[in-house]
Amino acid sequence: MAASSGKQRWAGAVKQVTKSNFAAALQQLRTDVDSADIVAISCRKTGDSVASSRRHPWHRVLPIDTPEVAYLKARLAAESYEILQFAVCPFRLRGHKVLAYPYNFHLFPRDEINLIGPSYSFSCQTSFLTSMAQEGFDFNACIYDGISYLSRVQESMVKERNPIPQIQPISSCSSLSVADSIFMSRIKSRVVHWWNICKESSNTIDGDLIESLRKLISGTELYGSRPSMSISVCSDRQVQLVLQTVSHIHDDIVPLVVPDKPGGPKAVRIVLTSSEEDKNLLMTEIQNFENEQDLRVRGFREVIDVISSSNKPVIGYNCLHDFTFIHSKFIAPLPPTLFEFMCSLRLVFTNILDINHLSKEIGPLRKAKNLCAALSYLKRQFFVPIDIELPPEAAEENSNKAIHGNNVLQITYLFAALNALLKLNPDGQLPQGQNIMSIEDYSNIFYPICTSLQEPDDELNYLMEHAKKSSSDNLVFLWGFSQLISSKELKRELQQIHEVFMEDFELQLMDKTCAAIVFSRSGLAEALLKEMGSGKFCSDALLIKTSGLRAVGYDAYRKVCMSGLWEADLADSLENIIAGSTNSLSASSEKDSSEVYWGSESTINLSEL
Amino acid sequence: MRNLPLFWARSQTLILWLIPGLRRFSSAAAGVAVKNVTRSNFEPALEDLRARVREADFVAIDLEMTGVTSAPWRDSFEFDRSDVRYLKLKDSAEKFAVVQFGVCPFRWEPSRGSFVTHPHNFYVFPRKELPIHGPSYEFLCQTTSIDFLAKYQFDFNTCIHEGISYLSRAQEAEALKYLSSKYLDGLANSFCNLEEHEDIPLGRTADLFFSERMKAKFQEWRDAILKGPDKGCVYKENADSNEMQFQTVFFKMRPAVFLDGFSSHQLNLIQLVVRKHFKDLVYICVVDENKSWQRVVYVETEEDKASFMKEVQQDLIRVEKRVESAVGFRHVVDLLASDGKLIVGHNCLLDLAHIYSKFFGPLPSSMMEFILAVHEKFPYIIDTKHLLNSSQVIQFLMKRSSKSLSSAFSLLCPKVSSDSQNSTSSTFVRFEIQADETGSSCFNSGAKHEAGYDAFMTGCVFAQACSHLGIKFEVHTPSYDLARNDKIKKYINVLYPGWNSGTVVNLNTGTESPESGYKRKYPAVIFANIVLIWGFPSKLKPKDLKDCICSVFGPDSITSVFFIDTTAALIQLSKEEFVNEILVLKDTLERENDPISVLHPLSKLLEGGKTCAANYDTYRDICAASASKVLFADQADSLGIRWKTKLGTGSQETREASCNETTTEVKSLVEHLSGVRANFRRQFKHQISCDDILDSLNVSKSLHG
Repeated sequence: MAASSGKQRWAGAVKQVTKSNFAAALQQLRTDVDSADIVAISCRKTGDSVASSRRHPWHRVLPIDTPEVAYLKARLAAESYEILQFAVCPFRLRGHKVLAYPYNFHLFPRDEINLIGPSYSFSCQTSFLTSMAQEGFDFNACIYDGISYLSRVQESMVKERNPIPQIQPISSCSSLSVADSIFMSRIKSRVVHWWNICKESSNTIDGDLIESLRKLISGTELYGSRPSMSISVCSDRQVQLVLQTVSHIHDDIVPLVVPDKPGGPKAVRIVLTSSEEDKNLLMTEIQNFENEQDLRVRGFREVIDVISSSNKPVIGYNCLHDFTFIHSKFIAPLPPTLFEFMCSLRLVFTNILDINHLSKEIGPLRKAKNLCAALSYLKRQFFVPIDIELPPEAAEENSNKAIHGNNVLQITYLFAALNALLKLNPDGQLPQGQNIMSIEDYSNIFYPICTSLQEPDDELNYLMEHAKKSSSDNLVFLWGFSQLISSKELKRELQQIHEVFMEDFELQLMDKTCAAIVFSRSGLAEALLKEMGSGKFCSDALLIKTSGLRAVGYDAYRKVCMSGLWEADLADSLENIIAGSTNSLSASSEKDSSEVYWGSESTINLSEL
Repeated sequence: MRNLPLFWARSQTLILWLIPGLRRFSSAAAGVAVKNVTRSNFEPALEDLRARVREADFVAIDLEMTGVTSAPWRDSFEFDRSDVRYLKLKDSAEKFAVVQFGVCPFRWEPSRGSFVTHPHNFYVFPRKELPIHGPSYEFLCQTTSIDFLAKYQFDFNTCIHEGISYLSRAQEAEALKYLSSKYLDGLANSFCNLEEHEDIPLGRTADLFFSERMKAKFQEWRDAILKGPDKGCVYKENADSNEMQFQTVFFKMRPAVFLDGFSSHQLNLIQLVVRKHFKDLVYICVVDENKSWQRVVYVETEEDKASFMKEVQQDLIRVEKRVESAVGFRHVVDLLASDGKLIVGHNCLLDLAHIYSKFFGPLPSSMMEFILAVHEKFPYIIDTKHLLNSSQVIQFLMKRSSKSLSSAFSLLCPKVSSDSQNSTSSTFVRFEIQADETGSSCFNSGAKHEAGYDAFMTGCVFAQACSHLGIKFEVHTPSYDLARNDKIKKYINVLYPGWNSGTVVNLNTGTESPESGYKRKYPAVIFANIVLIWGFPSKLKPKDLKDCICSVFGPDSITSVFFIDTTAALIQLSKEEFVNEILVLKDTLERENDPISVLHPLSKLLEGGKTCAANYDTYRDICAASASKVLFADQADSLGIRWKTKLGTGSQETREASCNETTTEVKSLVEHLSGVRANFRRQFKHQISCDDILDSLNVSKSLHG
C-alpha cells in the first residue's frame, strides 16, 4: 500500500477516546495490548523544544548540544508544555501484514478530584495550536471532555492526603508485651459485646428511640447498610493487634483500616456481615470502590500503566521528546541528568525503540526531517508492500473520518516497512536480543536532532546538510558585542581583532546576546580563552561596538543548562555561571570533551527574529 | 417604531422592558444580543464599530484571559508592597493571552429616553499572520482558568480557528521594516555593483564547484529560453547526477526559475553568480502568503529590467497593506484610544495591563511609569469596582453585598437583568440593545463571563450608578460630556488595584493613595521588619516557625508569620534589628558546625541544609524574575541564588530604605497560624484568595486576641 494514499484510507480508522468512552476503551486496549507484538505511540503537544521559543531562541535543541544538554532542553519543554493527544497503536506483525488497533486519547490536565491537578499551568506555542486547527482539531472536545490524569508520584500524594479505608493483611506480632495483652483483651470484650448487641437487635423489634439509644451506647454506626464500629488506634502495632483480635472472634466481621491524613492509621472500622456471601459481597464492593477511585485518580495514566506492565516493546518517533513528556506527566518529575532519566524510564518501559535510530540503517533516510519525508522516501526508493489491517468496527464508529492520531499509524507503517527492509523478522516473530535496539542505544536518538512530526519548519530544513563532527573543546561562546549585529558582520569584525580568528571558524548566533564559535583547528579555542583571561585581549577591540567582549568554553554552557538558568538571555546566564564558579571554570581544560555536530546552516538569523 | 428614520429600518431594535409587546427574553443572560466578531466578519464589524464608538457617550470593555497567576505564590497577598504587586500584575499580563475582548459602546438617545448599546464580543488569538520567519508566539494557560472558561461554554474552537490576530505597535514597525527590507534587499542586490559585494568569499571548494555548476545551469536555461520557439516549454535538467530541476515558471509575465530546495548560503552564492555573470537575469526574493520565495527572472532589456523592478516595487505597497491587516484587533484598541472616549471597566487594572502589553508595547518596569503611560493612551477611565466601593449612595443601595460584577448588575439593574414587567419607575435607566438584521447569524444571547456580555453589564452598572449619583441623562443636551461631569469627576481615573490593600491607583498623578472609605482593621505591615525564609523542612508548620524564632528572640519578637506557600514564609518581626540579627545568627550557625550550634533552637529551622533567608528586597527580586515555578523555593533556585543567607550590606542603607517603606500605606496583620495549609506540601492547586486570608485572620484573632 502506498504511504500517500494512507491518509485517506486511514481516515476514521483511529478510535477517538474522550472522557465519555474512556472506561470502555481502556478495557479494549488492555486486550489489544496483550495480544500485540509491539505498541506504537505518538503524542501531540502544545509546544516542543524543536520549535524555538520567541523569547529565548537558544532553548531550541541545537546541533551543538551534547546529549546531556539536549536532554536538559527536552526536560524544559516537557515541564512547560502539555500533551493534548496521545495516540497508542498496539499491533501484530505478520510478514508484510500488520494488524493494528489504533487509539487516540484526548487529554486535558483538569483537576478532577479537587485535590491535586496534573499541572498548575502550561505553555502553548501558537504555531502548534494553529497547525492543529488546520487539521480540524476540536479544541472544545479536548478541553471539555479530555481525559485528565495524575502521575505516579502525584497519585501517591493523593493517597497520602485523601485516604480511604482499606483491607489490610494480618501479620502476626512476634512477641506480645503485657500492655499488648491488656489492649487486646479490652478490644476483644468490646467487640464481643458489640457483636452480641448487633445480633440481638436484629432479632427484636424495638421503637426508633430505643434503637438509636442502643446504637449510641454500643457505638454502632452504619457502613453502607451494614452495622459497623470504629476502634481508635494510635500506631501500626495497635492496628495489627486489633486485626489479630478481631480475626479470632468471628468470621463475619470484616476489619477495615482507616488511615489518618498524614498517612498513619487513625482507626480500625469493623463491619458486621450477615453471612459468608454477604462478606464476599462486601469484599467485592470494597474492591470495586478502590478500583473506581484508582481510575478516577489515575485517569489516562492507566493506559501508560497498561503498556508498561505488558512489557511489550514500545516504538516512537523522536523518542527523547515524547518520553521526557511521558516521564514528566505520567511517572514523576524529570530527574536532573540524562543518566538518571534513562534509569528511571527503563523501570517503566523496558524496551523502547526509536524509529529515527532504525532509519539510520538506511543511509539516505537519516536526512528525512520528518515522518512524512521518511515515508515518501521509502515509497519512492523501495517497493515494500505493507498491508495495514484495521479493526472494522473502528471505521464504522467514526463516521466523521477524523484523522487525529494518524501519526501513530504512519509510525507503525514506517516500522513495518523498515522491518521488512532490514529483514528483522523473516518469520513474523520478533527476534529477541540483537536486532531490537534496547535503551542502551538510547543516546543515539540525538541523531538526527531536529526531526519533527509537524510540517518542516523552513529554517530547519538544511540544518544538517553541512553538519560535521566537532569536539566541544573547539567551541567557544562569545558575548558582549552589539545586539544589533548580524552573524556575518560579527564574523568580519572578529577577523580583524585577533589572529585566532584569521583561521577557519564558524559562527552561529545563539540569541541576540551570544554567539557560538567553532574552530576547525583544535587548540585555538583554548588559546583564545587563555588570552581573554589574561586581559590584554580587549584593548584593541574597538571595532566591536562594546568593549566588554567575553568568552567561555563549552563547560559554562553546559552548566547554564544544568543549573536551569533558562529565563534569561544566554549571555546573562553565562555571566551568572562564571560569577558563581570561577574556580571550576579555570579548570575547564580537564573537562571531558564530547562530540557535537556543527551545522553551518543552522544560524539563527537575527533579522528574522 | 415604523416612523423612525432610515437608520432604524436597517436595525432590529430589541427593547428589553420598555415596550411591552416586543420580543422579550426570559432569563437574565439570554436577552442580550451580543455580536460575535471573528476573522471572517472583522472588517465590516470594525467599520461598524468605528461609527458607534464615535457617537458613543462611553465605551465599556471587558477581557477574558487564559489565566491570572502563573504560580500559586504569584497571587496578591496582604504582605505585598505596591512594587511587588505591580511585578505580579506585570507577570500576569506578559505571560497570559487575551482570548476574548468585549467592547460595548453606550449612546444616550434623548428621543427614546434610553441608552442604545451595541455589545461586541471579539475572539482574539495571537496567530502568526505574517510570513516572518523566526520563532512563534508563546503564551501560558492556567489550567483552572481554562477549566473556568470551559464551564461557561467558552468556544475554544472559534477562538483558535477563527480568532482575530493582532500586532502591537512595536511589532508592526518591526514587521514593516523587515518585510520591506527583504524586498529592498532583493532590489538592491539586483542592481548594485559587484565591488560592494565581494565580501561573500568563495572560500570553500564546495562553494566554488556549486557556483560553477549554477553558472552552467543558468547559462543553459537562458539559452534554452532564447532559442526555444515556445518559451513556455518546461526545461528539464538532464544532468543525471543532479536531483535539482529548473522549472520555468512565469513571474510578472516573464520567464523565471523558481529556486526551491536551496540553503540560504547556496542562495547567496546563486545571487552572486547571477549578478556577476548574467546581465539579463534578475535575482529576486518575493514575499508570498506564507513564506518568501526566491526566483531568478529573465528580463529582455535594460528597460524591461527597469519596468520589472517597478512592478516589484508596487508589490511592496501591497506588503504594507498586508501588515496593516495583520495589525488586526489592534485597530479596535487604537479606535478606543483615539477619541479620548470615556472607557468603563470593572476591576480593570489587569485588563489595562493586558491591553498595554499586547497592543502598545512592553510594560514599563515601575507602577508609576505604567500608570502614566496608560493615562496617556486613555485619558478617561472609570473603574466600576471603585465606583461601587466608594460611593456611599451605591453602597447603601447594594446593601453591602458582594461587589462582583454580576451581583452588582442584578442589584442595580434588576429591570435589565430580570426583564420584569413594571417599567414605570424612573429611577432605572433604560437600555436598548441594537443588532443589525443583516448579520444575525453572528449574534448570540450573551452569557455571564463572556467578554461582550460582561462589558454590557459593566456599562449598565455604570450608567445606573451615574443616575444614582444624580446625573439626569434626560435633562442634558445630547452632546454633554460625561467625562467632565462634576458628579462623577472624583471617580474618573481612579482604579481599584485588584487587591485588598485599602489603596486606589490614581491615573492622573500616577500614585497609589489610601482609599477614602477603607476601614483599617490591622496594624501596618512594616516591610523593613520582614525576613523572608524559604527551603525549610516541609514538616515545619507556622506554629513551629514561630516557636523557633520566639525561643531565640523572646516571645514578643514576632508580629506575624505569613506562609507564601509550603516552602516559603515571610515573618514580620517586632523590631527592625531582629531582621539582621536573624540573618547573622543563621549564617554563624551554618558556618560553625559544632555541637552547640546543632543544639541551638534555630537549627530546627535549618534542618535539611536548604534553608535560605534574606530581607524583603530579595522577595521583590524573586517576584521580578520571569520564571514561574510552582513552588517558591524552586523559583528561588531557578534564579541561580547560591548564597544561603543574604546579610544586610549596612545598617545605614537599611534604615534609609525603611523610612520609605514604613510610609507605604499598606497594612495588615496576618496571623496565619492555623496551620491548615502547612500540610499541603507540593500541592499544585494552592491558591490563597483574599477571603481565605481574611478567614484565617478571624480565626487567629479569636485565638490570640
